[in-house]
Amino acid sequence: MSKHMISMLGILGLLMSLWIGKATGHHGWSGYDSGQTLSLTGTIQESGYEHPHGYVKLAVPDKVWFVVLAPPSRMENRGLPRTMLKAGTPASVVGYPSRSDPQEMRAERITIDGQTVELR
Amino acid sequence: MHQSVGPAWLVWLETSAVAVAMRQWLWLYPIVEIVHIVGFVVLVGAAVMFDLRLLGLSRHLPVRGMAWHLLPWARTSLLLVIPSGLLMFIAHATEMAANPAFRVKLACIAAAGLNASLFHRGVFQSVSRWDQEAAAPAAAKIAAIVSLTLWISVITCGRLLAYL
Repeated sequence: MSKHMISMLGILGLLMSLWIGKATGHHGWSGYDSGQTLSLTGTIQESGYEHPHGYVKLAVPDKVWFVVLAPPSRMENRGLPRTMLKAGTPASVVGYPSRSDPQEMRAERITIDGQTVELR
Repeated sequence: MHQSVGPAWLVWLETSAVAVAMRQWLWLYPIVEIVHIVGFVVLVGAAVMFDLRLLGLSRHLPVRGMAWHLLPWARTSLLLVIPSGLLMFIAHATEMAANPAFRVKLACIAAAGLNASLFHRGVFQSVSRWDQEAAAPAAAKIAAIVSLTLWISVITCGRLLAYL
């Protein structure tokens, strides 16, 4: 492989990585439409206390939302231990819908049993 | 996390005890991330400082002296970078493998390694002629620009993994 080809590959890599930025995106806050605030109240069906972000599947009357929370270490620090996210627990979340996945939203805050925890 | 969907070996990796620990232990993931960052700061830092010297900065410093100091550190840093990178890969194997930024990142790392090895087998052999107070040959400068471009691309892709 010539030096030219390697150089081309690098430039290609850089361009591709910039271009791909538009394609999907479901992690950073920019992947969610903050112009559209959702307030949902429902029941936790399933939860994950996982890196990079915890989640709950929140059943509301008409559908089940995949609600992205915060990193577990942050949730623990802010007083939202794993045990509070048990299946069957009623919960309310305020957050924004994903730009790409109609089932997914990211929560700014969650309220369980009268206690509100900021997640950002 | 989302459902594990993908080739069997990736699903196997992702559901292994190590992967579960990475996702569920409170501080393991951040610690591994920190190790990865410390490692690549040394690796990419060494590469960038050497490349800048090839491009003509600080010509009073001998190129051989810089290589002698920086290269062993760059190699040693791989002991931090590779295991931590593998752990993070395992934790989200199916997602990573499907992530275009991850593929581009691996391609750039491979290309950067190839570039370095071509440099050392090629133009670096004549370093005694341009060791100090002299311009490096064009081939060395091209290798330096390629290296800078590739390593910046690697970091860019690595960061974009979380956003794609």
